[in-house]
Amino acid sequence: MSVEQQGQPLSAEDDVIIIKELNKWYGSFHVLKDINLNVKRGEKIVICGPSGSGKSTMIRCINRLEEFQRGSLIVNGVEMIEDVKNIEAIRREVGMVFQHFNLFPHLTILENLTLGPIWVQKKPKEEAEATAMKYLERVKIPDQANKFPGQLSGGQQQRVAIARSLCMSPQIMLFDEPTSALDPEMIKEVLDVMVELADEGMTMLCVTHEMGFAKKVADRVIFMDGGEIVEQNTPHEFFDNPETDRLQLFLSQILEH
Amino acid sequence: MREFQALPAQPAPVDTVGPIGWMKTNLFSTPINAVVSISIFAFLVYVLPDTIDWLFFSANWVGSTQDVCSAEGAGDGACWVFVSAWMQQFIYGSYPDPELWRVNAALVALGLVIAAPYLLPKHFRNTVGVPLFLLFPFIGAAFLDGRIFGLEYVSTDFWGGFSLNIFLAAASIIIAFPLSFLWALGRRSDMPFVRSVCVILIEFFRGVPVLALFFMGSVMLPLFFPEGVTIDKLLRVWIVLILFMSGYMAEVFRGGFQAIPQGQYEAADSLGLSYWQKTLLIIFPQVIKVSMPNILATFVMLFKNTTFLLIIGIFEILNTTQTALTNSNWLEGHAAEGYIFVGLVFWCCCFGMSMISSNIEKKLDTSHRS
Repeated sequence: MSVEQQGQPLSAEDDVIIIKELNKWYGSFHVLKDINLNVKRGEKIVICGPSGSGKSTMIRCINRLEEFQRGSLIVNGVEMIEDVKNIEAIRREVGMVFQHFNLFPHLTILENLTLGPIWVQKKPKEEAEATAMKYLERVKIPDQANKFPGQLSGGQQQRVAIARSLCMSPQIMLFDEPTSALDPEMIKEVLDVMVELADEGMTMLCVTHEMGFAKKVADRVIFMDGGEIVEQNTPHEFFDNPETDRLQLFLSQILEH
Repeated sequence: MREFQALPAQPAPVDTVGPIGWMKTNLFSTPINAVVSISIFAFLVYVLPDTIDWLFFSANWVGSTQDVCSAEGAGDGACWVFVSAWMQQFIYGSYPDPELWRVNAALVALGLVIAAPYLLPKHFRNTVGVPLFLLFPFIGAAFLDGRIFGLEYVSTDFWGGFSLNIFLAAASIIIAFPLSFLWALGRRSDMPFVRSVCVILIEFFRGVPVLALFFMGSVMLPLFFPEGVTIDKLLRVWIVLILFMSGYMAEVFRGGFQAIPQGQYEAADSLGLSYWQKTLLIIFPQVIKVSMPNILATFVMLFKNTTFLLIIGIFEILNTTQTALTNSNWLEGHAAEGYIFVGLVFWCCCFGMSMISSNIEKKLDTSHRS
């Protein structure tokens, strides 16, 4: 598979991510066991599960922050293989938002947003800045453009992180517990941005325990435990008629309070 | 409803503020502290007046020969005439008189190169400032040598004095800076060959005493050169200093690398930045910021280590001082004056560098600037 085929989905069904029998080990520890998952363009998927279930590891495989030992992974028509060009091509199409924001502390907000477009997509600075301001307005903090990340609240930083990913005009967005490091009153502002993004038709894979968000936007909710996908269903069925006892137990534990 | 009335502020007890309060907390907080404070004070009272008298009031300041100090009626204090008479050698070594402007020009240029980040507008810093900085040692050396520029040739045998200490230290650190960063990167590399080469280099140059390295550079190395090939002694010393400095700085950088959270690498990766873009745009600036205090400490160490060069016969300031002390016209023992002068010069420079570094640290600190 080569980079040239990027953007020409292999599947007729327009599956933008195709994961087949993905297996991953940390040393001798089997973290991901036979993961099979197809994601359609525009689909919103919420992934939940107890800690250590491999949910973060799985989505981190999609942009190759984690490598896997067996199985295949095709992202936007490009097969993930051991090749730097290939990996970089995939990363350009996949945006990622982290639990701890991971903004670059030595750069201003605007520079954080324009870094990728300028250096990776080779856009002129003016164009990159205009795009950056557009996205900052969308996440409602254009007035912070010239501040440094350390001067912003957690919620604002996470919104900047989302805007930073969007500036690269990704086909797919990955969210790795985007709200779990935030104070309760800041969670909403980040979720609002994510809901808006979902409404615009972005393909999203989101590891989160915000069940309200899952019910509202998800097309499919996936439950993982012990490195495998235990159950996947529409939010309605997922929450109201869990098929397995394991999911029932998990839901009862997280919804109890 | 009861109206709330704030209590008026009262003055703090007299013995907790002002000079009395300061003395109570800092000098006499416990009996042992009080005893120590009083004995130090007594010692200073005993020693200081004589020292100050020797240094300043009974010192001989004006003149040009030793006779001024030994003459009838001359003060019995320090003979600063020794320092002023030898000043040119202390600073320029034996660099020929008519060409001294070249040393001065090079010193000014060095100052400008260091000040460039402050003087240049932001967008010139990387395109003009950095190349100038990296090229300075070579241009400077060629300029002092003179041949390439069509100036009179001055062999490195005539270079010397404090300017040589400065040039050697500056030229070494400028080259060692990028080199050591590469070594530190190599040490973290996934490639076993690159990693082992870097580890060996770093550990060798850190583990061997700098004096031994100087001897290797000046005595041993020429034995390995083919017949007829000679490499200038000063050049060899420069290379030794660069490698020695790189070994230390690489370890400083390694500490800096470890302070960068994994998330920074992941964020850079997820944007699709290449390895070098990630390293230079994201990691390097943050590593520099974390490592700045240690980089400066290492540089001060190297700067002072340039005085070790006297042992292999490079006429830096300490060697020049010793030569002056054994000069037949100045045999009456002016060692104290000479060494105090050398110490003072080094102290001023090192203190100045501390000031610059704390300034840079503030400049780089973007974490909580409001």
